[in-house]
Amino acid sequence: MKQSLSSRVSLIYALSVRNLWRQRRRNTILLVSVICAITGVVVLNSLIRGMQLQMVDQVVYNLNGHITLHAPDYRSDPAITRGFLEDFEEFTRKLDSENLAGWATRIKIPAVVMSERETRGVQIVGLDPAQEDISVVADLPIEGSFLANSADNRIVLGRALLTQLRTKIGHRIVVVMQDINSKSKEVGFQIAGVYDSDSEGMEKHVIFAGKGALQQFLDSKSITELSIRFNTRLIPPDGLESISQSFPNLETVDWKNIDPILAFMYESVNAMVYIWLAIVFTALVFGLMNTFITAVLERTQEIGLCKSMGMKSSLVLYQVVTESLIVMFLGLIGGLLLSWGVLQLLGDGIDLSAFAAGVEMLNLAPKIRPAVVWQDVSIVVIATVFLALVASLYPAIRAVRLDPLIALRD
Amino acid sequence: MATEILTLNNVTRIYGKEATQVNALTDVSLSITKGEFVSIVGPSGCGKSTLLNIMGALDQPTSGEVHFDGNSLDEMSRGELTDLRLQKFGFVFQAFNLLPVLTAAENVQFILQLLGFARYERQSRTREILDALGLVDVADRPATELSGGQQQRIAIARALVGEPALLFADEPSANLDSTATRELCELLQQINTDRGITVVTATHDPLVMGYTNRSIHLEDGRVVEDKSNP
Repeated sequence: MKQSLSSRVSLIYALSVRNLWRQRRRNTILLVSVICAITGVVVLNSLIRGMQLQMVDQVVYNLNGHITLHAPDYRSDPAITRGFLEDFEEFTRKLDSENLAGWATRIKIPAVVMSERETRGVQIVGLDPAQEDISVVADLPIEGSFLANSADNRIVLGRALLTQLRTKIGHRIVVVMQDINSKSKEVGFQIAGVYDSDSEGMEKHVIFAGKGALQQFLDSKSITELSIRFNTRLIPPDGLESISQSFPNLETVDWKNIDPILAFMYESVNAMVYIWLAIVFTALVFGLMNTFITAVLERTQEIGLCKSMGMKSSLVLYQVVTESLIVMFLGLIGGLLLSWGVLQLLGDGIDLSAFAAGVEMLNLAPKIRPAVVWQDVSIVVIATVFLALVASLYPAIRAVRLDPLIALRD
Repeated sequence: MATEILTLNNVTRIYGKEATQVNALTDVSLSITKGEFVSIVGPSGCGKSTLLNIMGALDQPTSGEVHFDGNSLDEMSRGELTDLRLQKFGFVFQAFNLLPVLTAAENVQFILQLLGFARYERQSRTREILDALGLVDVADRPATELSGGQQQRIAIARALVGEPALLFADEPSANLDSTATRELCELLQQINTDRGITVVTATHDPLVMGYTNRSIHLEDGRVVEDKSNP
């Protein structure tokens, strides 16, 4: 007579559940360790992913965008002579995509600023405030006032630079730049306002001027960069290629090329997430295996009895595997629920402002907010099921190989 | 005419190798006829359990042949032997050997689940056999909470519920007092008489032997006497 599937399933399930319940203290400890491991992996991965994505956000947000376009030789010699003409209509037409959050054209060139007392090297950024809703500029806290428009011929400094120059809002400073003819040009600007930033480096080295005003001072109608930001956290799959094809005469640079160190860290984090997962789950697999081997050894006689009465080897195998799957399934549910709770508690982020210098070096925001990447969670779920199978396979095979007679004698 | 259900031809069973070799059975030939109640008797270590295990397809002889219903067990695969044990044989072991995580009724149903009976049929047959053996009152009690006699009766119920052709009982009275032993023997006799199930029991208890209608005496792994009981 062929066994019916439901009869087999109910038998295996009943035996597995009751055997687990029989050793409830040991299996509870096992379950707790599985819950802790899964929670640890999910929460830590979410924090790591949060840091990773915040690093990208910081780069993209800080006047870079996801992609910037330059004249081909600009990056080796960032001067107005390496600029290109702004064609607003052409840009608007070519950048008409629902994936885009916006774009901005800028002039970014090195300059020297001088107050009555101090001199500092900086990067002057000529911009149109109306285009800057895609960058950090729109959100910078300003004391005084920001530039009114592209033609505004005043200047905005970072607070750290203002302190270094020992000057004040409303005072004038002199900016020395190279114009379109590669001649040094000294231009006097009135300080319109001071911005504060999470990055002291930015405060010290970046100053803002009106793009139109700067073009006038430099005797040029050129810009040096077109910055593009997508409305996704990362560049969409065909985003880089599509932009590159639209602007064949310009060099297309994505955020990874803008900040190669960050790009390396980004990729390293990808690897780290999976290495961490592998380490935790490898440790767990040995714990599980040990527990199930013990369980099989403890039940040698019972397994022998079942086999002597005609229980097929496959059912013995399924029984051990089912016990492992039940523990791992409950551990997975418990782990995911606990992870959700912990992530809710961490929803406001972990404040790292006490480590400001390190945070800035790593291009992190002062608060790390966890980011749940569903692909990571899916991998945890799949790995858990796989782990349950792997951990139970050896004990199950041992159970299958038990000679019923010897098992009964034991 | 009596039908031979199980035959053994020149069965020898040797355990161990070379210096540690032990001849548990030597050149045993016998046949069991359908409907018999047979006891295999002899002192401890004479090979009773080994003979019973070989008859029950739990062990293989080193040499010789065992046939069940004309089919050689030697030619069967492990899977086929497992099926044979499940479908044709019932076992009652020396130690009570119930599954401790199941109730008395579930232990009986276990065989029916292995046989693939539907839930209703399982419950109906289990109730019937427990009723017949006077075990309805303990049906829902965990196996671990039953007395020795009750556990052995449940083990018999489990062995019978699949309606086997042959019931093997290895020292079924080893852990029972004389009253429980007498009750057990009467039960086995009733099963043999009323249901026509062939019963083979290994025992060194004269009380058990007295209930059987044939005794096979073993000494040092050899059959020294095979006689019908009055």
